[in-house]
Parts: sequence; structure tokens; C-alpha cells
Amino acid sequence: MIATYAPLFMLLFFAAFLASVFYVAATFLGGQKKPNPGKQAPFECGSESSGGRHLKLSVKFYLTAILFVVFDIEAVFVYPWAIHFRALGWLGLAEMLGFLAVLVVALVYVWRKGALEWET
Amino acid sequence: MNIALALSPLLVVALGALLLMLAEAFSPRQGGLALGAATVLFVGAAVAGGVWMYGIERLPEAASLAPWLLLDRFGLFFDMLLCLGGGLAALLAGGYLVEHGIERGEFYVLILFATLGAMILASSGDAVTLFLGLETMSLGAYAMTAFRRASPRAAEGALKYFLLGSFAAAILIYGFALLYGATGHTDLAGIGATAATARTPLLVVGAVLVIVGVAFKVSAVPFHAWTPDAYEGAPTPATTFMAVAVKAGAFALLLRVLLIALGDASWTSWAAGWPPVVATLAVLTMTVANLIAGRQESVKRMLAYSSIAHAGYALVGVTALMRDPTQAGASVLFYLLSYTVSTAGAFGALILCGSHGREAVSYEDLSGLGRRHPAAALAFSLFLLSLAGIPPTAGFFGKWFVFKAAIDGGLYWLAILGFVNSVIGAYYYLRVMVYMYMREPAAGAPVALPMRSGYVTAALLVSALFVLALGLVPTRAIEVAVRAATLGAG
Repeated sequence: MIATYAPLFMLLFFAAFLASVFYVAATFLGGQKKPNPGKQAPFECGSESSGGRHLKLSVKFYLTAILFVVFDIEAVFVYPWAIHFRALGWLGLAEMLGFLAVLVVALVYVWRKGALEWET
Repeated sequence: MNIALALSPLLVVALGALLLMLAEAFSPRQGGLALGAATVLFVGAAVAGGVWMYGIERLPEAASLAPWLLLDRFGLFFDMLLCLGGGLAALLAGGYLVEHGIERGEFYVLILFATLGAMILASSGDAVTLFLGLETMSLGAYAMTAFRRASPRAAEGALKYFLLGSFAAAILIYGFALLYGATGHTDLAGIGATAATARTPLLVVGAVLVIVGVAFKVSAVPFHAWTPDAYEGAPTPATTFMAVAVKAGAFALLLRVLLIALGDASWTSWAAGWPPVVATLAVLTMTVANLIAGRQESVKRMLAYSSIAHAGYALVGVTALMRDPTQAGASVLFYLLSYTVSTAGAFGALILCGSHGREAVSYEDLSGLGRRHPAAALAFSLFLLSLAGIPPTAGFFGKWFVFKAAIDGGLYWLAILGFVNSVIGAYYYLRVMVYMYMREPAAGAPVALPMRSGYVTAALLVSALFVLALGLVPTRAIEVAVRAATLGAG
């Protein structure tokens, strides 16, 4: 059982060994380190970076994202039902209407709460 | 039609939650939602009781709907228990949120949805339904914990709760994935049937992961680290809800998993099954939580550790399931009932002792309360005595039945450890009473003043009624618990 995997382990070992050899050798053979302010600056597509690290995003992005997820999931459930529409019959229709009614209540709620208004 | 009748406790709470959400959307900040939420939940409890009376065996169609939703007495018992706990939390919120200026209708809607999730969890017979209920319950609890948005403490508690809770849910679902891989079933009965015949390493690892995931949810030591911070940071009604309904829901899950999926004799033996694991959890939980609770300076934090310790006592009863599932299961159910009313009452009394601008937090806030506000002090004392397990309160018989189940199962050492722990526990409950009756506040020190609220008073009255009734005549309740614990047999 283990013997079957021996070549694999050997390959892993040699890969790790060679990688470490190159890594250590590179510190001796590689280029010189001469830091200057330009090299130390964070790289941002060539342009100079600006602003702080703590950026506050408006909560409306999260609201939109979560609403998108909610109604996306709805579609995930509606599609299989639509494909088996005839087989599921009236009970299936009633259940799907119930499911959609719950989601409509949620939609009414977020609407009334103003979560759908982008400019406030 | 029968299906609708069997599902009616769930339907009542679900429809009530939707209606309350619409009410909040169309007439925001009108108040009165607390009353609505409490009404919905108490009606839910009554409907569950009605279905029980009607006889669940007269609804055969509904029973054959299973295995994904088990509509049995066990589920109905938890429906009643959870609705009671959630209703008490909603009443407490009606007083607390207004008093502290964080009244928003969403809180009550969250209580309703979280209770619904816990009810689904308690009735679930399939890993998928179970996870659905668990997440519905937990998401509501996370949001309620973070309800005081301006408070850094609340944010800290909610973040810890959310991260560790999601982690626990991931472990749990990973465990169920392995169980599915080992048995080819997602329903608990199917897992149980296969687990009885063949035990593979995969099955053992899956079972361990599931138990660990549930232990997180019932906050058993060593998986309790999130509990004190989450309980302390949350608004007190949310703490009540977590201590009462979330814990009861998690215990329902634990009992279902241990009795159905791992209920075969090969799994319930001491030598080769889960009992030593659960017993270790029980001993650690009781001992560690009791020792730490005595050192707390905040009463709310002390009650948080106390709720961990009580999970430990209940786990003693869960361990005893190995010998006599019905009797030990009934003792756990009765324990959860007595714990629910005592804890809801204790947190309610703590809410009553504080008012706008200053919540009662420290022991000093309560000093001299016996003279300043005898009624509040009396109510607090009653619930503390019940938590300590002193007759004639519900807590005494709760502990009695659990320890008796352990002794009947031959686990003498576990019962003795439990008894020693409840003596240690009495120390910190009585310490509160010492402050209330034998100390006076330091001159000029700012202390919390009790508030006036019909909602909180009503919740305290209901809890006190239950605590005394269960403490004086426990026979009827234990009969009900025995019938509920008889899984499967109609």
C-alpha cells in the first residue's frame, strides 16, 4: 500500500530539496540589496499611493450585495420548480407561492425601510 | 389538513413573525410589538399544547411526512418550552429596550424568527433540516447580540459569538458530511441504522465532530470561551434568549443525535461509545464554570457562567441516557424546563433592578436592595434559590431528577461530582442575596435604581408561577417529560 506511493514521496522530497537549495543559493549568488525610498514604497500599479489604510465603505454596498444574494437564491429555487412544473402539480404551485410570498414580505420590508434608495 | 394541524405550532410562529415584520415596516417605532411578539409565542406554546392534547398519534399522515421533520411529542415539548422562553424574552425586551432607549421593532421580529429556527431544530430528523433550523436560530441570536450598536462591548461580544458560532456550525456540518460519507444517509434514522451494523473510522470522526459542534452551541467547557463575552455584551433580553432558547434548542439537537443517530447499544456502551466523552464534558463544564463564576465582579457575567454550569448539570443527565433513555431523557427535559423559567426570571430580575442610564451590573448596584425595593429583591431571591437548587423551587427537582438518573444508571461518581458542584454553586448565588439583604450601598456611591415596567413584571410573574408550581408539584410535569422522551413510540 505505502510502497505504491514511494515514487510520489521521492518526487515530493526532491522537489522540496531542490527548492531549498535554490533558495539558499540565491542569497549568495543573487543581486545586491540596496534599499532606497522608491523601492520601499508600496507598489500600486506604478502610480503613487494615497490615503490611509482604514477606508470606510458605505453600508449601502453591503445592503445591495445581500439583497442581490437573497433574490439570486430565490431564482435558484424557482428554476428547478419551473422545469418540473407539471409533475409537481397544484401542491408544488401552492408551495412555490408560499415561498414567494415570504420573499415578497421581505421585499416590502426593505422597501419601506428605504434600503432600495441609493441617494439619501 | 392533518399536516397543517401537525405543523401548526411552527406555522403560528412563522406567520406571526412575518406579520410583525410588516407591522414594523408600516408603523415603525409605535411600540406594542413586544406585546405582539409575546402573544404570538404564547399562542404558539398553547397551540403546541393543543396538538399534544389532540394526540399526535391521530395525525398519521403528518408522521409519515418524516424523516426530515419529526412531528412527535419530543418536538412538541420543545415547541412549548422554546415558545415559553422566547415569549418571556420578548416581554423582558418590551421593558428593557424602551427603558434604555434602544427600542426597535426588529428585535421582536428577530426573537420570533430565532425561536422558529430553534423549533425547527428541535423537530428535525435530517441533517439538512437540522442545519436550516440551527442557522435560522443562530443568525437571529447574532444580530440580537449586536443590537446595541454604539457599544464596543456589544460589538466585541457579537463578533466573538459570530466567528466562533460559524466555526462551530462548520465543524458540525463537516461532521455530518463525514457521517453521510460513511453511511450514505443524511437522515438521522438512516445514519443510526447503518452506524449500528458497521463502525468505520470515518463514522467515529464524524460523530466526534458532530458532538464538538453541538458542545460549542450548548457552551460546554472547553468550548465555552465565547459565552461570557457574548452574554455580557448583549442587551439583557438577548442574553436571556440565548441562555434559554438557544441552549434548549442545542440540547434538543444533542438528544436527537445521541438517541437516533448514535442510539445503538454499541454506541451507548461505556467502553466503546460516547458516554465517556459526554461525561468528561459534563464534569469539566460544571467544575470550571462554577469555579470561575464565584470570582466574577459583574452579576450579569456571573449569571453567564452560571448558565454554562447548568449546561454541565444537564449533560450529567445526557450521560445517563446510556442506561435508560426514557428516564434520563425525561430528566434532561424537566431540567431544561426548570432552568428556562429560573434563568429567564433571574435575568428579568436583574433587568428590573436597573433603570435608564444605569443597568444593574455589579454586586454594589444590588446592595441594600432588600430594604430599598423589597419586591424586586424578593423576586431575584426566588430565582437565585431555584438556580441554586434549593426546595421548594423548580431548580431543586431539576437537579434531583438529573442526579437520580445518573445514580440509576450506575454513575455514582458523576452524581456526587454534580452534587459537590451545586454546593459550590450555591456560594455565588447566595452572595447576591447577601449583598441585597445584608449590605448597604456606600454613602454617595452611584447605584442603579429599579425601573417600573408592566412587561417585566408580567414576565417575572409568569416565571415565578412556573418556578413555584414545578417546585411544589413536579409530578405532572415529569409525566409529560417522560411521554416526550419516549421517542418514536406515539
